[in-house]
Amino acid sequence: MSLLAASNLTKRYRRGGKTVIAVDDVSFHIEPGETLALAGPSGSGKSTIARLALRLIEPDAGRIEFEGGDFLALRGATLRARRARLQMVFQDPLAAFNPRATVARALDDPLRIHGIASRGERPRRIAELLERVGLPADLASRAVHEISGGQRQRVAIARAIATKPSLIVLDEAVSALDVSVRGQILELLLDLQREQKIAYLFISHDLGVVRAVAHRIILLDAGRIAESGEARAVVDAPRSAIGKALVAAAPRLDRSIRHNAP
Amino acid sequence: MTVLASIGELTVTYRRDGGEVTALRSVSLDIMAGERLAIIGESGSGKSTLALAIAELLPSSSADGRIEWPGLGRTPLLGRDIGFVFQDPSASLDPVMTIGKQIAEVARAHLGLTWSQAYAKARTLLERIRLPDPDSALQAFPHQLSGGQKQRVAIAAAIAAGPKLLIADEATSALDTIVQAEIVALIRRLVAEDGMTLLFISHDIALAAELAERIAVFRHGRLVELGPTARIVGAPTQAYTRMLLDAHIGLDAAPLLDRAGLRS
Repeated sequence: MSLLAASNLTKRYRRGGKTVIAVDDVSFHIEPGETLALAGPSGSGKSTIARLALRLIEPDAGRIEFEGGDFLALRGATLRARRARLQMVFQDPLAAFNPRATVARALDDPLRIHGIASRGERPRRIAELLERVGLPADLASRAVHEISGGQRQRVAIARAIATKPSLIVLDEAVSALDVSVRGQILELLLDLQREQKIAYLFISHDLGVVRAVAHRIILLDAGRIAESGEARAVVDAPRSAIGKALVAAAPRLDRSIRHNAP
Repeated sequence: MTVLASIGELTVTYRRDGGEVTALRSVSLDIMAGERLAIIGESGSGKSTLALAIAELLPSSSADGRIEWPGLGRTPLLGRDIGFVFQDPSASLDPVMTIGKQIAEVARAHLGLTWSQAYAKARTLLERIRLPDPDSALQAFPHQLSGGQKQRVAIAAAIAAGPKLLIADEATSALDTIVQAEIVALIRRLVAEDGMTLLFISHDIALAAELAERIAVFRHGRLVELGPTARIVGAPTQAYTRMLLDAHIGLDAAPLLDRAGLRS
């Protein structure tokens, strides 16, 4: 059974008197421990699908099954409890945190709200989470806005794994990071996936990154699925027009010129 | 080749939270007339500070050193001699002024044209940046355009007075891959047609390598390495440059999934 199965999802917006179909009859599934990438140009619907999967917004039509139950039917306390299993990391971690919070407070919240650890246990759990994401324990007392962008994204990952999720939605989670930091964050995500069998819905416009970390990929164009399949196979030989355009537009770094450089 | 601008021992210091932060440390660099030079670096490298210093957008109290313009023969004026394109076109365009007026204003102010001549110039520029339906675009407001179209308009305004130097500071970073490639192609074409010098500031070494003839690598406010693109990319001498190249995850990179043993 799939971890998450979305069927015939549709989401329309009204904008300036016109109806925009952001997501148009999209179906997909994610297996336990798997990374499914959503890629496509701006406005293709990838972030809308992420927000639908998280139930930050409600679809106009369609179904979402999560961990064997009707996710869209959940309300109140049962929805909150189920949400512990479905976490998220966004592009800009600064916007995702209370700016006045310390790192400890940002990690204390999910542990307290979801009843994961008692007040007495929480400092130890916070230290463990920081260690797990490769951050020093003394970072706990620092304000979230004081630490570097890479450290902040590690804190966002620590917060996401605090509730022992089965699925994390990563919405352009490494896009704003310096390249020297990006590789380490991707390695951390893959380590966590291997250890804890976490599945990722990995949203990115960067096909190189997607090909490197995702098992399967869905290419979106104007709210519809243009193409899907094994990530390497799709990126190496796209069949859809949008797939071909995305691959053609990706910058190439040809380092072979070292051999014929003077 | 003549030197357009010569930067010597440039140090820039910002005051922040009561302390001083050195954004550029004793940077010396010549920009050759007509070349496409990329400045690359990560956050805090000083690459944007360099662009702002060249465009004289920094308070003179914060900069120490010299910037000379042998290829211009006069002190440059931003807008007339230097066109500047920023990352976020929504922030650089006036939201309540029509596209046509924003471009015409630059031509009128720096070229001494009448408004009707300046509007004719703006229309020609809208054609050159390939905006669909230039006549109605003249009357459009920025919010009616997509992100890529807005950046095209910002580029049109930047080149309206025929500057010798075009500075593009992360001008494609907020755009998706397809639009990014279109904007890079546009910049390449306009620079060639007008014989402009290009200073292309980017965090993306692969993108910079596709466009630039020379690359300057910055880190922590210092110039790490400068050379022809083929040499920097193919045979870098500095470990930091090699790290930047190794960190690029291209379409041919070995999948991390395989290394992590996560492929079933």
